[in-house]
Amino acid sequence: MSEHNDETVDDVFAEKAFAEKARHRFDDSVQGLDAATRSALNQSRQVALKELGSRRPLRMTWLPAAGVAAAGVAALMLWTANPTLEQKAVPGAADIEILLTEDSLEMLEELEFYSWMELDEQAFVPPELQNHVG
Amino acid sequence: MGSGRTEQHRDEYRMSICNASFAVSCHTEKKTGAETLQRRESLNRFFADVEKRALRIAEISIRDRDEALDLVQDAMIKLARNYAQRPVAEWTPLFYRILQNRIRDWQRRETVKNKVMTWFQRSDEDGDADPVAAAPDTAGRTPEEQLEGQEAMACLEQAVTALPVRQREAFMLRTFEGLDVAGTAAAMGCSQGSVKTHYSRAVHSLRDSLGEHWQ
Repeated sequence: MSEHNDETVDDVFAEKAFAEKARHRFDDSVQGLDAATRSALNQSRQVALKELGSRRPLRMTWLPAAGVAAAGVAALMLWTANPTLEQKAVPGAADIEILLTEDSLEMLEELEFYSWMELDEQAFVPPELQNHVG
Repeated sequence: MGSGRTEQHRDEYRMSICNASFAVSCHTEKKTGAETLQRRESLNRFFADVEKRALRIAEISIRDRDEALDLVQDAMIKLARNYAQRPVAEWTPLFYRILQNRIRDWQRRETVKNKVMTWFQRSDEDGDADPVAAAPDTAGRTPEEQLEGQEAMACLEQAVTALPVRQREAFMLRTFEGLDVAGTAAAMGCSQGSVKTHYSRAVHSLRDSLGEHWQ
């Protein structure tokens, strides 16, 4: 039992030492970034700062989705209203389905992120981070 | 005469209201302008602090510096556009969440591209060697020490790249960026328990592959 505990403690120390070494090597590589790369990063930062607060209205992001949905509904109505279209419409319907699926997946991805943000706001209080960011 | 005086009073009253509302509006504008300026300054400091490490993390993930620069810029823009109003303490996990998503998207695109390239039997004959920074060492180390450090980092990068994606993310965010478990979980979009598991497996795997003598 004691030997097992010793092994675990040793393992924890070894892990920490390894992580420390890795962090040290990584920091060295960050310090060694060349001037051209640093300059490119600086330019990227300035570009990003120009975008501060220029968020597009949410409804605009839903507009393409609404357009595709409307097109889907229109196609469905035409398809069901005219039985002669049924045979010809099979490939077209598949295309619409793909378009709708892709778009809804994209929206779901965003929704997941917004949902995470909401949960994060309620539950996530990172006191350590307050020291880290600054 | 009496009614003229009343009208004058009314005009004075209206003027005083206009002046008061103008003063309030000016004060609000000044306050908003100052807040925006302060936020911009904070964001500038945050980006300056995080950008170099973020670039190296992205570069290790995708093995391409130019592409990594693009991904970091995208992540910065998205944070500035959409989440700059969030508390400053949340910026780091948010920024890395965005960056990790960008990296995953890039890797997905590359996988598809590679499959298509294989399908058409084309070979990517770029011939460009991986550029090694030839800048003078700022830490005052000897060339031997520099070389040793670069070799050790190259081995580490290779081993980190070989890790499964989630282990790699957990290791880099915890070790390289220095995020705590909660911050890493927020950045990766998973539970804290998963972060601990991924991180522990990553460290074991790296120690195994690099060996005891890796410095």
